[in-house]
This record gives sequence, C-alpha cells and structure tokens, in this order.
Amino acid sequence: MAVETASQAHEAPMERWRFNVDEYYQMGEVGILGPEARVELIDGELIRMPPIRSHHNGSVIDLDELLRELLGRRVTISIQGPLILGPYSAPQPDILVLRRRDDNYRSANPTAADVLLVIEVSDSTLTYDRETKGLLYAQAGLPDYWIANLADGQVEVHRDPTPDGYKSIQIMGRGDVIRPLAFPDLVIAVSDILG
Amino acid sequence: MAVQIAKHLFTVDEYYRIAEIGLLGPEPRVELIEGEIIDMSPMGLPHASCVARLNRMFWRGLGDRVVLWPQLPLRLNLRSEPEPDLAILAPHQDAYKSGHPVALDVFLVIEVSDSTLDYDRYVKGPLYAGANIPDYWIANLADGQVEVHRDPTPDGYQTIQVMRPGDVIRPLAFPDLEVAVADILG
Repeated sequence: MAVETASQAHEAPMERWRFNVDEYYQMGEVGILGPEARVELIDGELIRMPPIRSHHNGSVIDLDELLRELLGRRVTISIQGPLILGPYSAPQPDILVLRRRDDNYRSANPTAADVLLVIEVSDSTLTYDRETKGLLYAQAGLPDYWIANLADGQVEVHRDPTPDGYKSIQIMGRGDVIRPLAFPDLVIAVSDILG
Repeated sequence: MAVQIAKHLFTVDEYYRIAEIGLLGPEPRVELIEGEIIDMSPMGLPHASCVARLNRMFWRGLGDRVVLWPQLPLRLNLRSEPEPDLAILAPHQDAYKSGHPVALDVFLVIEVSDSTLDYDRYVKGPLYAGANIPDYWIANLADGQVEVHRDPTPDGYQTIQVMRPGDVIRPLAFPDLEVAVADILG
C-alpha cells in the first residue's frame, strides 16, 4: 500500500557508506572479503562481479593473444587485474593495455596514467559497462575504452573522455577495423575481437 | 541476457569487524540495512526535538512497563541492524546487557522522517514487517502526519493509516495509552 505525498519531491537520497581503496584492501587482508568474494570497488561501493561465462572468457583469451602478438613487449597486458582510479574506485577491467614498467607493477597497482587502452568484454553487463564503467573511466581520463559487445556482435569505441562521460562513441561491426589511439599503426579487425 | 549488478552485502558479524578495525571512523553513525552499510544523515533540529518529545511522552505514559530504546541497535536478521529513532521494548531480565534486542522484544518502532521518507516507507517498512514488528509509526514531519503501519507480512505491512493533528493513536500493545498526533509533531 503506497502513501503519496508532496514532500517526496524533495527527498534526500540515503547515502550508502563509501569505502576508500585502502579500506577495501584492509577488508581483504583481515578476511572480511574472503577468497570467495569476487568484488570490485566502484565509487566506494563493493560491486559483485558475476561469474564469468565461457563465451566471455574465450573472448578475453582471444584478445589477450591478439594484443600480445601485435604489441609484444612494447606494453604490459593485464587480464582482470586491479586498476586504481582515485580514492574510491578499484575496478578490475577485463583487459588493460599498460605502459611498461620495470617491476611489472609489483610496487604499486596501475593507475589511470598507466593506461593506454581498457577493454571490457560484455555479454551480460552491457548497461553497467556503458554507463557506470563508462563514466568512471571517462572521469579518470582513460583515453581509449572499448566494449566488446558480444550479444550484438559489435565493438563500441569510447574516446574523448570528459568529466561527464566519453564524448565520442563509435560502433564498429564485423568488417570494420580499429586502430588503438596509442598505436595508430596497428590495425585490429573487429571480427578477430568477437571471434 | 542482462544480469542484475549486485552490491556485496555484509552480515552483522562482518559489519562489527569492519567497525572494529576502524574502517567506519571513530564514531560511526551508520546502520546495517539488508547487508548495506547506510550512512545516517546528520540530524536536523526538528528531527532531534521530535525524538526527544517521543521519549518524554512514552516515559510519562508507560514508565517502567517498557524499555525505551532511542537510536540504539536492533538485531533484526542476519544482515540488518537498524537503529530506529525510538523502539519501545519489553522489559528484559538483564536490561539487554547480554545481547541487543531482537524483533520479539519490540512492541513498537517509530522513525522520525523529515528527509528520509521514501527510505523509511519503502526500505525500513518492509524490513520491520519482514521481522514481524507489529506496530511501526512514521512521524512524517514534512507533511504533518503520522503513518501507522500494522499487520506485518513478509511482503510488507497490510494496513497503513494516516493520522493527522487532532487524531490520537493507541499503541497496539498499550491500547489504554492515547498518543496525540499533535503532541508527536510538536
């Protein structure tokens, strides 16, 4: 039974408690987030990552092999590894193409300045990858964000990050090729990404 | 096939450990609601003085027949430990020293609502109903009314009565007590 009143128009949203990145790691260390917890920290909230399905996993493996073949040791490729974006976010994107660092990021996890290209493979999380992750990555200034949209058979190329989101979103279909911003000499076929 | 993105939900035990290792700050003002840690907004004067009025009214009306539990924790389920503005509890042998009150101890819960009305109605309401708390009042300061929620079911309260200044409310557990809506709203 609903009670409707005028005051609801001025409703202050309830604030969820936001954890910062240090606190997120502390919860892991003391076991509050145990080995079974597959979560990423997005704007202070712990978001569960859904189980990875085989089609998704195969695409990540394909992309990893493709990028290694094309880029070799010019870059570091991190698969579902951490990325620290500001004090309140530590997502784990499917693919990170990073600047090389001598210690392979042992001394500190990568941050926005290290990222050349980020790719999310999306089968069941498209809205989330477009809206929530898109805004997060744009606000962090990540220059080149691709969504491999398996359901629709296309790759979305998000560029020109601003605090309000990516200004440019190009939809690439099978038959198209994409040149990574950081490596314009490289030609990647969309059909190779989608498999 | 779209998957609902799910927040990680905490149990009450995890919530306590998070507080113990200091992650919620030195004086946390939070409550655990269905696994989510909710930051309680700073309390405005109208809200605070309404809580004080409610305490005084129930102390005068019921005295030692009950325990008044203002803004203190109730252990309602594995993932919820809210701190309602006022809970009216059955007296307990050890005065709740050995464990927080649970739903069975609660006669009446009251939330004072100025900026949190939707939350109090649509999140707290189902939580209290699901815990089978028989009598839940929302003192809706913005609209000048008190909403009396009764007949809890797992799907929410079946009865919601809106009471206005001039009306009186009799708590379910204490039908001899007449509480004037005007006195609640001040």
